[in-house]
Amino acid sequence: MEILKHLINIAADPKILFPVIIAIFFFIFPPTDRLFKINQWLRLDKVWTKQGGIVLFAALLIAFLFGLSDENFRKIVTKPDNVPIVGLIFLTVFFLWLSLKQAWENDARIEQGKKTNEADDAQEKVLVWPDLVYIEFIAMLFCAAFLVVWSVFLKAPLEEPANPTVSPNPSKAPWYFLGLQEMLVYFDPWLAGVVFPTVIIIGLMAIPFLDNNPKGSGYYSFKDRKMAISIFLFFWLVLWVFLILVGTFLRGPNWNFFGPFEYWDIHKLEALTNVNLSELVYILLLKMSLPTNILLRELWGFLVMIFYFGIMPLILAKTLLKSVYERLGPVQYSIFAVLLLMAAGLPIKMLLRWAFNIKYIIAIPEFFFNI
Amino acid sequence: MSDERHYNINKLNRLFAIASIVLFLSLVWLFVDDYSRSWKKYQAAFRELEIEKTRVKHDGEANKLQALPEYQALQQEIADAQKTIAERCSNSADVKKSLERLQAENDLLKHNYKIKIAELDAARYRYEDAIHKKENLAHREPQFQKLQGSVQDLKLKVEESDQKIAAQHSRQAECKNKAKELKRQENNLSKQAAVLERKLRRIDPDQMTFANYVADLVRDLPILDLASPKSKIEQIVLNDITDDVNFMRVPKVDRCTTCHLGATNPDYKDAPQPFRTHPNLELFLSTNSAHPLEEFGCTTCHGGRGRGTDFNNTAHTPASEEQKKAWEKKYRWEAYHHWETPMYPLPYVEAGCFKCHSGETTIKGAEKLNLGLNLIEKAGCYSCHTIDKYKDWPKPGPDLTHLATKVSKEWAYHWIEDPKSFRHNTWMPSFYNQSNNSDPESLRRGQQEIQAMVHYLFAASEEFKLPSMPTWGDPKKGEETVSSIGCFACHNLQHELAAAPRTNDSLRREHGPNLTGLGAKTSKVWIYNWLKDPNRYHPETRMPNLRLSDEEAADAAAFLAEDKDVELMNKPVPPLDEAVVDQIVKSFMVKANTAQQTADQMAKMNLDDKLFYAGEKLIGHYGCFSCHNIKGFENYKPIGTDLTEEGSKSAERLDFGFIHIDHTKQAWFKQKLQEPRIFDEGKVKAPEDKLRMPNFDFTEEEAGAITTALLGFVKDKPAPDKMKPQTPENIYIEEGQKIIRQFNCQGCHIMEGEGGAIQSSVTQWLMAFDNRSEGDAQALTTSFSPPNLIGEGKKVQTEWLFNFLHEPVTIRPWLKVRMPTYRFNAAHLNALVKYFNALDKQEFPYTETVDIKLSPEEFVAGEKLFSAEYFDCGKCHIVGDKMPAGSEESWAPNFTLARTRLKPEWISEWLKDPQALLPGTKMPTFFDPASFDKSGPEDVLQGDENKQIEVLRNYFLTLSAKHPAVDARPQSPKSTGPLKPAEAEAMPQTETQTTKPSLSVTQPE
Repeated sequence: MEILKHLINIAADPKILFPVIIAIFFFIFPPTDRLFKINQWLRLDKVWTKQGGIVLFAALLIAFLFGLSDENFRKIVTKPDNVPIVGLIFLTVFFLWLSLKQAWENDARIEQGKKTNEADDAQEKVLVWPDLVYIEFIAMLFCAAFLVVWSVFLKAPLEEPANPTVSPNPSKAPWYFLGLQEMLVYFDPWLAGVVFPTVIIIGLMAIPFLDNNPKGSGYYSFKDRKMAISIFLFFWLVLWVFLILVGTFLRGPNWNFFGPFEYWDIHKLEALTNVNLSELVYILLLKMSLPTNILLRELWGFLVMIFYFGIMPLILAKTLLKSVYERLGPVQYSIFAVLLLMAAGLPIKMLLRWAFNIKYIIAIPEFFFNI
Repeated sequence: MSDERHYNINKLNRLFAIASIVLFLSLVWLFVDDYSRSWKKYQAAFRELEIEKTRVKHDGEANKLQALPEYQALQQEIADAQKTIAERCSNSADVKKSLERLQAENDLLKHNYKIKIAELDAARYRYEDAIHKKENLAHREPQFQKLQGSVQDLKLKVEESDQKIAAQHSRQAECKNKAKELKRQENNLSKQAAVLERKLRRIDPDQMTFANYVADLVRDLPILDLASPKSKIEQIVLNDITDDVNFMRVPKVDRCTTCHLGATNPDYKDAPQPFRTHPNLELFLSTNSAHPLEEFGCTTCHGGRGRGTDFNNTAHTPASEEQKKAWEKKYRWEAYHHWETPMYPLPYVEAGCFKCHSGETTIKGAEKLNLGLNLIEKAGCYSCHTIDKYKDWPKPGPDLTHLATKVSKEWAYHWIEDPKSFRHNTWMPSFYNQSNNSDPESLRRGQQEIQAMVHYLFAASEEFKLPSMPTWGDPKKGEETVSSIGCFACHNLQHELAAAPRTNDSLRREHGPNLTGLGAKTSKVWIYNWLKDPNRYHPETRMPNLRLSDEEAADAAAFLAEDKDVELMNKPVPPLDEAVVDQIVKSFMVKANTAQQTADQMAKMNLDDKLFYAGEKLIGHYGCFSCHNIKGFENYKPIGTDLTEEGSKSAERLDFGFIHIDHTKQAWFKQKLQEPRIFDEGKVKAPEDKLRMPNFDFTEEEAGAITTALLGFVKDKPAPDKMKPQTPENIYIEEGQKIIRQFNCQGCHIMEGEGGAIQSSVTQWLMAFDNRSEGDAQALTTSFSPPNLIGEGKKVQTEWLFNFLHEPVTIRPWLKVRMPTYRFNAAHLNALVKYFNALDKQEFPYTETVDIKLSPEEFVAGEKLFSAEYFDCGKCHIVGDKMPAGSEESWAPNFTLARTRLKPEWISEWLKDPQALLPGTKMPTFFDPASFDKSGPEDVLQGDENKQIEVLRNYFLTLSAKHPAVDARPQSPKSTGPLKPAEAEAMPQTETQTTKPSLSVTQPE
């Protein structure tokens, strides 16, 4: 048992867990035809059936029950602040399963030439009053009752006025901001705290203008919208939900990583010596000291950025995103590509950090400009 | 309609019903949960207890009343009176009926009378009208006359009826008055019981009226409880004592009495918590005490979160591990992390006294805190750790600037290595053989470290002349001198560790070092020179000069030097190891230099240089200079953490290392004090980074006492008007207490009811050298001990006191123990004089206001009273150079000192009733305070006692004038008789004298 916990602790290190999740993710939600074929071959679509759902939930429950037997895990999971996060896990999995089950069912029906499950829904008429309002009202009553009971059971964790000289360790953002807080580890605050949240909002607003694929409108389907679903779920599940979970359960004192069954030792120290790309290039590769000229020093970083945002879209338009380019045209495609690359920047930066201890690609602390 | 609907309406209705019920139930649950507060349970339980207590008390009162003969007699009388009333003027039917009839008649008459008056007024108008108009007069006039007559008639009848009724009433009242008076008497007797009964009727459901009973049931129901509930939060709001909530200060609100309901009521002494009475109500909580509840609240002293109303959010702190376990079980207790001043656990509760009483040296009633502060002073914590209270205290350790003349290098080595092996109860702490430096490598390094420090100390030691002794000294005589002269007020001579724990009293005898093994430490000559003049060797020493003659000093030195701890002397000092010394030098040198510079510098140094360099660095590193004067360290700063506000530090800032103890301040302090290096356990550190606080070998109790003091060293101070008022008197007293503590005056004298630590050694001396039996010796101890200084300010003149403290003279030549000469500076002397005056609420400076002139007749009368036939004062008191006839233990001070020493007002009071001024004094009471007017001799001064006292007093004051040979100077040794050759021989102080006011004494006629 202890060995198993130890193995889980090791595997929970994001350096291992994150790449593994990314790798698995694209097999479960294949964006391209080739990956889709592998998915079919591995029969991974069976997860989105009734039996699959039962197995999925049973596995989740067992994992939780197993975890609760451990004192450290129990302490974190049962903290009043963290209870919603536990709920979040179950709810996310449930709704994901529900929607994909319907999508895969429809895909099967379309293949057989049948109508989609939702095809008849459009024919039906539902009156706002009483049908919609009534059920909404009933749902509201249940919801209110649920919140009341919850508040009776778990008291609000109200505390004394804060002492500015004593900060809690770890100091965590509210759960819904934990993803952003996690980004702070990898990016300069103005990027992680200002630019990215803005781009996320703009990106969400831009979806209707970028996604002009008429397929999948009014019915659930996976096959028809492989790329869109895969990209969306990647950002939603991996870069948002997963980071919240990491922030809640795996970040301990001094913002160190701790396995789910590891004691949160306040004295734990990890060797973290991060270097900038310029140092990597000049000192390690070229064996010379850093140039005093800032632009010369950061030249390599700028080159990388120019390549990433300037040349990558062109390459992608010729290769991976060829169909998208053809469908959207140059203007919409460029916006789409830049947004996509910015979003992909996060996991790329995380991997660079873990693999090469890279702190910033471009580091000009003189002007508070770090990327 | 229904076919147009998408959902089944019945199903939805059912769902709606279920949802409504679920929501309703959850809201009920919410209400119940919100309503049931833990404090309500306690209030209900207290109400039960209160009813029970009141019942018991009431029954007790009632029984007492029943047993009272007066009450029984009264009851009988009441019964009799009632009987009489029943017989004579009972409210029988006839009496009632006749009264009713009378009343009815009266009512009717009054009714008619009112009507007739109205008719008369009307008739008068008509009559006047007729007169005016001169018509109908004949008819109107008789009409008016007639009515006037009948009104007159009726008036008479009404008065008659009224009288009849009044008579009837007064007859009845007369009967009742007696009963009323008896009832009043009964009420007087049963007042207590009645109060209790009224209370019971208010709180006891069994005794309530029905209406009250119903009200009692509903007033606590939810919502209705907004009006006047039985259960409500009690709170004390303190506007001038605030809680720091970081961004602002808010008034303290203490709700503790919501549950601690019996705290101020002495009836609940044995009640279970939380209802128990607060201990010591005279000092705390009650309205007349120094700390009334309404003004100080609870958390001001106890800490904790006053606004909380349940067990956990009030930040209760368990007193012990067992209590913690019990609380966890009973209250699901857990530390309330977010409140920075949790309640002081019971063992440390006295810590709360310090924040207001920090100026006092001894805080009355806080024994543990006092012990802690006393230990801090004795151990000298303040010299490495800055503590505001001890800002200007002297260094606790001896001067090392002339060390080479005092001890040998070998001895110094052994002493630093393990001071306790030489002197078991020394205050010198152990730096070596501790938990973090006992591994072989550290031991090797430690040996060389000590070598280096010893080398430095001896190299830096300055020359010091030790004149040789006039004689070799007689150890036997020396022993007597040492045991009698007063050394044991501050020192002891114990070879073994005492079994009894240290107390505030025993610490007075640890003021100076234990004198064991002195011969192994230093030479006879050094001891001789030290005794002759301690200040020469150590200018700031607190050791006073006892004015020993050369011979006495030589004897004492011979005796003290006899004691040699041979075993220690035989232990070899390990050889020097240059390689290790190099390491030490390097470890310090590389801190400020590069490795190359270090190597270059070290190449230039020989072994002596290295030892000197390492020794200097190590003395700075370990902070030896904080306690000792060491040459070269005059400007160094203390090395320890500032402890002035240590009690306000949060536990998170303390390094608990790998030690599993409670993460509380108190646990950490106590652990640190008992084992200072323990937090290094399991850590990998370079030698110079290791913890270096030395080990004082405090016992658990001592560590607990010091912890109490540390917890009390807090940041926040309450409003000035809540502190002890800073009047000049209080400031003088605090200043004086500080000096008294520093110079250990209470080692000899009893002051403010404490002290006199020397007395046990006086008993010992009486037994060992004066051949007294144990019982005798104990009985005589006070006679041969230094005087009790109660009322000293009232007793002696300010100027005399000032001079005496500066340069003592002999007052009691029969005492072996002598008042030493201290090197008090002017500030000390003034502070002490002011202290004594303030303590006895005396005017300062003192001016004599009493007329002390004597007429010739009065002089004769005084002489007469003084003579053997009357009071025989010369039997005990020394007069000039004439010693009293009686045995020494009954001797009393010289009269010739009185003029300059005593305040005349005091002499009068003293003569009148000595026991009132100094309980237990040997001075006989000549004037019986019980029958003062008849107590004096009748044949002197017409038997006027007050006059006798006045004359006798004024007579005493002439005595110094009558014996011009004697003045306030010490007597010559020849005059003091064979038993006290040493005593009066005050060594003249030729040292630098501080400026002092000159003594001006006007001689009486």
